[in-house]
Amino acid sequence: MPATPRTSRNRIILIVILIVCVTLVTLYVRESDKGPLHKVQNFFLDVISPVSSGFSKLFRPIKDGFVNLFHLPSLASSKRELEKEVGALKRQATQNAELEKEVEELERLLNWTEGHPEYETVGADIIGQSPDNWQRLMIVNKGSSQGVKKYMSVVTEEGLVGRIISVGSRSAVVQLITDSRSGIGGRDVTTRATGIIEGRNEATVRFTPMNSDTQLKVRDSLETSGMGGTCPPGIPIGLVSKVTKRSKGLTRLIEVEPLVDFSRLDKVLIIIMPQPESIILKEAQ
Amino acid sequence: MSRRRQLFLATVVVLAFILQIAVLPQFKLLGAQPDLILVVAVLVAVTDGPMEGALVGFFGGLLQDIVGPQVLGVGAFSKALAAFAAGVLKDFFMTYSILLPILLVFLMSLFEQSIHQAALAVLGQEQLPTFKVTVVFASALYDVLAVFLFYPLIRRFRFDDKEESTLAIRTTGR
Repeated sequence: MPATPRTSRNRIILIVILIVCVTLVTLYVRESDKGPLHKVQNFFLDVISPVSSGFSKLFRPIKDGFVNLFHLPSLASSKRELEKEVGALKRQATQNAELEKEVEELERLLNWTEGHPEYETVGADIIGQSPDNWQRLMIVNKGSSQGVKKYMSVVTEEGLVGRIISVGSRSAVVQLITDSRSGIGGRDVTTRATGIIEGRNEATVRFTPMNSDTQLKVRDSLETSGMGGTCPPGIPIGLVSKVTKRSKGLTRLIEVEPLVDFSRLDKVLIIIMPQPESIILKEAQ
Repeated sequence: MSRRRQLFLATVVVLAFILQIAVLPQFKLLGAQPDLILVVAVLVAVTDGPMEGALVGFFGGLLQDIVGPQVLGVGAFSKALAAFAAGVLKDFFMTYSILLPILLVFLMSLFEQSIHQAALAVLGQEQLPTFKVTVVFASALYDVLAVFLFYPLIRRFRFDDKEESTLAIRTTGR
């Protein structure tokens, strides 16, 4: 098919364009960096650069929006990862706080041990509490395999917690001083007046002095007397919070607020030595 | 092609060039940006013919080469060739659908980028840009999007001057 004039012209123009291109390329490649074509290029580059920079600043907000738009999926996944990380860090922070609290408690227990070198103790964690409303008991994670025996006293830095009433090989049950079946020999630190500290299944315990004439005031301190042979003497119990005179008879109702906050107990010390006299007596029999 | 059409196309090329060097580098996607000069050249080839497209590709490519900085003439060469090929291929398709320029722009984008890289390789450029298939295809897809912006513009303002045509007929006596 013969070529039309237009087609021929097209071919000629294309060939001219290609020749010009090849010539330009050849000249450009062969000349040095200071050649005329390079100079022209550098000149236009200098002219265009500020324009390009200006447009770049102008379009920066749009560009940022564009970038964010196309990075939404990755942003979403980053958000999920960060949320996971935050969750992990929160858990770690909680664990750290718990550890810190534990260290504090251990330090306090250690202080108590150092302050009472006459006692040999074993530390224990509270692992359970009484399952009903009628007893004030706690379960600790130390038992006979750690030398724990019945009637041994359980203390914290604040004071007396209670005594062991049941022992397993790796756990033991502590009867708190607030338990209604608990009765421990106590005395007023100032007057040395003795009596019995009894639990009432309430937050406070009751002190019944042996001598009905004993004068006790609110804020008086009470400690174990050592009588009865279960608790060593001198362990703080609590402060007198209320003294009520009964209408009939001579006895008075003396309420004592224990020094130990039982609701926040985590760690305790069990006094291993000296052993309660009741145990020694039992063993002797 | 009328003078007004030539002026109009020159304006479109300059506009595409300004967008190309100043704006589009800000909006790269997958490391790619559209080649508006190529898009305009191919669209002109589709609407006006291969020679017109090749000329637009040549001058537009030359502008890009000048501010490149890259080997002067390589962009002009590859764009002129791609636009001319698009103009020739157009005659094989008997359709005026928008799908035709889309298809041609996509194919010519791949073709032009390949020629460009091949030319640089032949010239033994020390710092040959890394040829990434993903970038090539992303750029081609980006070019397709640019068709929707430029094709209506280039097709609408044809400036077929009836007076000029009538004058030409009278002069030639046909």
